[in-house]
Amino acid sequence: MVRLPYTTALTTLFSYGLLFAFGQLRDFFRKIVDWFKSKDLKGYAPICLGLEDFYVRRLYLRIQDCFGRPIASAPDAWIDVVERYSNDNNKTLHRTTNTTKCLNLGSYNYLGFAAADEYCTPRVIESLKKYSPSTCSVRADGGTTKLHTELEELVARFVGKPAAILFGMGYVTNSAIIPCLIGKGGLIISDSLNHNSIVNGARGSGATVRVFQHNSPSHLEEVLREQIAGGQPRTHRPWKKIIVIVEGIYSMEGELCKLPEIIAVCKKYKVYTYLDEAHSIGAIGKSGRGVCELLGVDPTDVDIMMGTFTKSFGSCGGYIAASKEIIQYLKYACPAHLYATSMSPPAVQQVISAIKVILGEDGSNRGAQKLARIRENSNFFRSELQKMGFEVLGDNDSPVMPIMLYNPAKIPAFSRECLRQNVAVVTVAFPATPLLLARARICISASHSREDLIKGLEVISKVGDLVGIKYFPVEPPKHAEHVLKKLE
Amino acid sequence: MAKLYVEAVPPADMNKNTEWFMYPGVWTTYILILFFSWLLVLSVLGCSPGMAWTIVNLFHFAITYHFFHWKKGTPFADDQGMYNTLTWWEQMDNGKQLTRNRKFLVVVPVVLYLIASHTTDYQHPMLFLNTLAVMVLVVAKLPNMHKVRIFGINAGN
Repeated sequence: MVRLPYTTALTTLFSYGLLFAFGQLRDFFRKIVDWFKSKDLKGYAPICLGLEDFYVRRLYLRIQDCFGRPIASAPDAWIDVVERYSNDNNKTLHRTTNTTKCLNLGSYNYLGFAAADEYCTPRVIESLKKYSPSTCSVRADGGTTKLHTELEELVARFVGKPAAILFGMGYVTNSAIIPCLIGKGGLIISDSLNHNSIVNGARGSGATVRVFQHNSPSHLEEVLREQIAGGQPRTHRPWKKIIVIVEGIYSMEGELCKLPEIIAVCKKYKVYTYLDEAHSIGAIGKSGRGVCELLGVDPTDVDIMMGTFTKSFGSCGGYIAASKEIIQYLKYACPAHLYATSMSPPAVQQVISAIKVILGEDGSNRGAQKLARIRENSNFFRSELQKMGFEVLGDNDSPVMPIMLYNPAKIPAFSRECLRQNVAVVTVAFPATPLLLARARICISASHSREDLIKGLEVISKVGDLVGIKYFPVEPPKHAEHVLKKLE
Repeated sequence: MAKLYVEAVPPADMNKNTEWFMYPGVWTTYILILFFSWLLVLSVLGCSPGMAWTIVNLFHFAITYHFFHWKKGTPFADDQGMYNTLTWWEQMDNGKQLTRNRKFLVVVPVVLYLIASHTTDYQHPMLFLNTLAVMVLVVAKLPNMHKVRIFGINAGN
């Protein structure tokens, strides 16, 4: 639910119309210029059919320098961004050897484990020497080390489920597990703003996919009732299985899922639930156990809990935590377990050490400190941005805060001006977000100090004034109100 | 001027090619673009208002026919060619007929026709061209024409 000024909606639609028109015009002239050049395909079909690549060629490539910036250091609170230049108006970019040190507001480094850590890094280096960077094997053959079994037990204990299974890549965890759990004759109901990995997995499973309005338990109930009453398409037989897939924190909105209400609806209709905690595990909740802890939901009520190690734990890979029977079934049925190389041992050790720090089992209270700091930082940053008049999405306590930009021209303006002032932000446009709702997504980390955040706020405020994205009225400072009250 | 705010709920439409049409402000933008293009034609060509409306009507016919009823598929490869045989009109609202958006898009060419024929005092040849434009556009938007390809025109990939 975003509130935007009506004039902004009109200008955004008009800008996109203009960009589209110019793109079509350029394509038209290109077709004329290339009319006489021989298109020697030798009987092969063209790679792109029709207009498939129009968006990439005519819109994305024009502002390509705002995306995919290479970095030259660990993604800590400050990051070295490599400078690039282009000689043909952003069609190709060339790297230079210069780097600029920028404030990092874009990496998913929620608890600060992305840089060298005093507990984790020595242990990771030790495991690198002992187990080598790769197991060179699949889990089912020779790729299960002591570390893997230790991490599976630790993850299961951390999340609150009986058992867990690991995978080498977070995206693959979703797209390879969902086809394993449900097939043709089943029904998947997923939130309309779910991540691409879930959409991919749902499409690959062969089950019927229906979408419910984002975070709306009442619409979910409506869709469920309609589908259960209707049964499978054409045969109208009852569905073999129904799974509802939601995420803990939606990474483009910064919103928390309305988990208790959704679980209540699912229980009423005897439907399975799948919770993707990629952004919420380790970052929210009093002891870092994710959205279930924050919202007071018992982990046994969620059938399958999925998460990744990339965001809060500073590693790579994903996990699924569920009952012992489901995990045993996945271990012999899931292709990502049987045919994909197992997680790299130093990465496993990094997660083990990170979870131990979060739980306080390393003998210090750094975990609790980090969790408190990220909560403080997120709430401070969000309230300051809202006071300045920006439209910031997301719930309190969530470390992801998108600032709405809307107009397509403001995306590169915001991104480039911030980089000039040494702040690295990530801007997101279509197709990761709806067409009109382009945004700059800020990710706060526990390793940001108060001074870093204040510098970030200053720069964003200045750039926001230049670019014109302060859509809401600025809140007057508290003491001025006080003085006015006194005068009355 | 007080900023009027609108609330935009992200619509549960999986097709990103048509989902942008369900946001607030689309209808107004469409009408404003038509009005401003009329002003532009008047100022550039210096012709009578009726002629300008006829020109706007004919360009509107050409552009909307090409993009709504001729071009098939979507301008991005994300959906893996799911809509490659459907024109934009057929993809709208997930194929549901007679929704509010569709009714609006049928009314616009008719209103343009009425304005254009009134301001040209129903003279030929403008009347003939305007009538042709509105007939083709309205017939193309009828619910019975969903996924119909007459004589196999535009049926290829």
